[in-house]
Amino acid sequence: MPNPDDIQVILATDCGSTTTKAILIEKIDGQYRQTYRGEAPTTVEEPVADVTAGVINAVTEVGELAGRKLVDDDGQIIRPANGDVGCDVYISTSSAGGGLQMMVAGLVRQMTGASAKRAALGAGAIVMDMIAANDKRLPHEQIQRIRELRPDMILLSGGTDGGNSRKVVEIAELIAPARPQPRFGSQYRMPLIYAGNAEAAPLVEDVFDDNVELKTVPNIRPVLERENLAPARDAIHDLFLEHVMAHAPGYNKLIGWTDAPIMPTPGAVGDILRTIAERQGVNAVAVDIGGATTDVFSVFPGPDGKPTFNRTVSANLGMSYSISNVVAEATLDSVLRWVHLDMDERELRNRVKNKMIRPTTIPQTLEALVFEQAVSREALRLAYLQHKEFATTLQGVQQQRTVGDTFTQSGGGETIVDNMKLNLLVASGGVLSHAPRMHQTAAMLIDAFEPEGVTRLAKDSIFMMPHLGVLAQVHAQAALEVFEKDCLIYLGTCVAPKGQGKVGKRCFSYDLQAPNLNEHGEMAFGELRMFPLAPDETAHIRIQPARGFDVGAGPGKEYEADVRGGEVGLILDARGRPLALPDQPRETVTKWIQALRLYD
Amino acid sequence: MNHLVAKLLAFGIASLWATHAWAAPAPPTDVQAEDYGGDDGSSIVVTFGLSPDDKFTEDESAASPVALYTIQRTAEWGGLYEDVGGVIPLEDDFEAGKASIVIGKNRRGEPYWFRVQAVGKDGTRSEFVYTAEDDPTIPTREFFLADRRWLAFITFVICGAVVGFIAWARSGRPLRVRRIAGLEAVDEAVGRACEMGKTCLFVPGVQDINDIQTIAGLTVLSHVAKTSAEYDVQVEVPTSRSLVMTAARETVESAYLAAGRPEGFNPDVIYYVTDEQFGYAAFLSGHMVREEPAACFYFGVFYAESLILAEMGNSIGAIQVAGTAMPAQLPFFVAACDYTLIGEEFFAASAYLSGDPDQLGSLKGQDFGKVLTGLTLIVGSVLATLYQVTGSEIFSDAVEHLRDVILK
Repeated sequence: MPNPDDIQVILATDCGSTTTKAILIEKIDGQYRQTYRGEAPTTVEEPVADVTAGVINAVTEVGELAGRKLVDDDGQIIRPANGDVGCDVYISTSSAGGGLQMMVAGLVRQMTGASAKRAALGAGAIVMDMIAANDKRLPHEQIQRIRELRPDMILLSGGTDGGNSRKVVEIAELIAPARPQPRFGSQYRMPLIYAGNAEAAPLVEDVFDDNVELKTVPNIRPVLERENLAPARDAIHDLFLEHVMAHAPGYNKLIGWTDAPIMPTPGAVGDILRTIAERQGVNAVAVDIGGATTDVFSVFPGPDGKPTFNRTVSANLGMSYSISNVVAEATLDSVLRWVHLDMDERELRNRVKNKMIRPTTIPQTLEALVFEQAVSREALRLAYLQHKEFATTLQGVQQQRTVGDTFTQSGGGETIVDNMKLNLLVASGGVLSHAPRMHQTAAMLIDAFEPEGVTRLAKDSIFMMPHLGVLAQVHAQAALEVFEKDCLIYLGTCVAPKGQGKVGKRCFSYDLQAPNLNEHGEMAFGELRMFPLAPDETAHIRIQPARGFDVGAGPGKEYEADVRGGEVGLILDARGRPLALPDQPRETVTKWIQALRLYD
Repeated sequence: MNHLVAKLLAFGIASLWATHAWAAPAPPTDVQAEDYGGDDGSSIVVTFGLSPDDKFTEDESAASPVALYTIQRTAEWGGLYEDVGGVIPLEDDFEAGKASIVIGKNRRGEPYWFRVQAVGKDGTRSEFVYTAEDDPTIPTREFFLADRRWLAFITFVICGAVVGFIAWARSGRPLRVRRIAGLEAVDEAVGRACEMGKTCLFVPGVQDINDIQTIAGLTVLSHVAKTSAEYDVQVEVPTSRSLVMTAARETVESAYLAAGRPEGFNPDVIYYVTDEQFGYAAFLSGHMVREEPAACFYFGVFYAESLILAEMGNSIGAIQVAGTAMPAQLPFFVAACDYTLIGEEFFAASAYLSGDPDQLGSLKGQDFGKVLTGLTLIVGSVLATLYQVTGSEIFSDAVEHLRDVILK
């Protein structure tokens, strides 16, 4: 690993299920910039069954575009960089083969179970199931489920330090006879991380035999008042490399090539988002909507005021393989709330099924595009709801009260996601990143996430965040510089007061001042308006909300701030929060679409 | 001369007597008595025509000579009459030319006769006018008490609401019940005990089983015990009354059976301590310090020991959930416990926890009754205030109607 100051050229790849993406980051005029990008089909499946083949193809493409020789005649990545040859650092992430699939177990589903799930999701895994003492299943059903799952790894937690040992051992005794079989490799021993009651560790170790690769780490909930996820996350990363990746086709070779441990793609995305949120002191939400799943990441202050990272994977919400489920879960009526054109319901159902069985098709007509984006709004909305339910304060914690709390006894398990405190909303994934117009991406984000107050919107158009997540571990400065300048395309800022009113009544007054913008006026409830504001421009806004509306300073109080522009500009949204569509939405939705110039 | 004076004196006295006799008002006319409808058989309405001398005028110098009418009753024709009431006619009576009075305290099924006479302002009395000899009035009991018709209506509306909501709930349509954080926290508190490998402590108050709050507490105990059975956590129930101990054992045993874990039930952890209020409180305090339960539940009647218990539980770091309808103890529980069920919430616990359509519908129906009562209070207050401000008789009549007729 070279000295960070000497690093001039960085090569990063992300081995996805379908394609392997490679990017090149170079130091230009003392600053790190992303310069070239290449893409090739992932080759983890037969007939090639070697992930490095796809990596070499993608890297070769980048090299050709950059005029830099990155791969030598032996098919090896050349290091270090020397003139137009080679790179200084090579890093990679992977989600090929379905990524890291885990099963977690805890004592109480909402306590150690939830903490184990948070650790697994935060490390970039997909949680296939959770076994808990209160999951309402009988022991034989739990054993049967463990046998059926075939996870890559199991995380077992339960009990506080010095707390319950008996029940933790009971859960271990369910897992041991189930003998869960791994997905890859016949000689492969199932990795199992124990992160529960420290006193029960020896007892748990006695339960398992050599069929399991047991690793004991500090308790995930040493006391109920505090989570300690880092050791478990690190152990997941280590075991992911040592066991899961080592048995996937070609990954053994790829591990030898990289200068930093290969990370699961979502884990890397989470890392960069957390880093950015902490460095910039902002609260952020990022979403990656895929064909089968939708990942939502968030960083919001926890009860202790410290930034808390959460990630959820909505396994059945996606835009191709899972599109039928989205329509079924949201209902077609809900999807059609966002459509302003006349559409035949039967035809739409056919369109949904076609998208499911032909996941790579893209909309060919305006109607198809409008419908797909309507479905995406519902998929994103449902995924965000699930995220809010998961990103909560810890349960099982003693509350401190005063007499003033008599009628507002909020307890543990309250969501920490607060749209009013949201500063940055980042979009990625095909339907968002590849929308024909950035306005459409911004509209989808606003409609689905309903940001309140003042929120900056951005998109990761080439899905560079995973690369930067790994890079942040090697060279944090480079990762931050690229993230700031090249990763995100800022769409603009959305100003949306929270509250409800009557359509047509005053919602707020605005005064916008920028070098090329001098606007003031009133917004009626239900209105949507857009003003151009370039990405490098800043506007000073003064908002005076009507009584009952809140832009961030409190109900009815004036709000003043400097906001940044973007490709779309500044969007004033007076539709109220929570967003409720009127009884006859067709005309209203048409007005909104025209206001944001989505399809004309 | 003396004879002449004597004659003049005699003539004067005779003239005065004659003048007096002429001032007696004319008797009332047409006295009728009939059974008062819609009562329990104790009332009779006596109606009579006003004396021809009795005229309404606002001129005081030309005021009617009749001061009032007295009504007398007998239970035997020709027997002894007794005074049972008097009527001073109102303006409306003058317009109608007749007045009436309801005579109560009659014996159901017995015949009665009445007579009425007008009484002059100077005390002179007219002749009596009688009800017919062959038509005595016999008071009878009716099926419906007419002057309680509003009560019947209100009862019908509230009971109808209960029945309606139960039918609504039974049909599978959702009935929203406000979230009661304290009851939802039971899972959290028992879960904490499970994670920490400790017990739960349930205190059912210091009153006996005949107190409704103790019974409501046992309903919550059932839920706590069922949750504890599911989590395999032991729930201890020290009681201050022996009957409560017995009832609590039955409750917990049933809960363990319902949870499918009858083998987990241990009757020895549900025990009697003492009837003495502070002996009980002292035992509980010591027990908490020694055993450090992870969750403490206080549901029932509490007095001064409430703060002692809640503070002790707080100091050992337990999650505490309390519920009582004792207003004086609520602030202590709110301040020292994690969650508190306040009064009505405590009694609604059973419906909330079970989700049973009958209980939920009943709860909603009762809520409707409370809303109705609240609205009546508001309307009455507004009308009374308006009367005070405007002095209008419309408002005073409305208030009187509300008070004397609707809410009678």
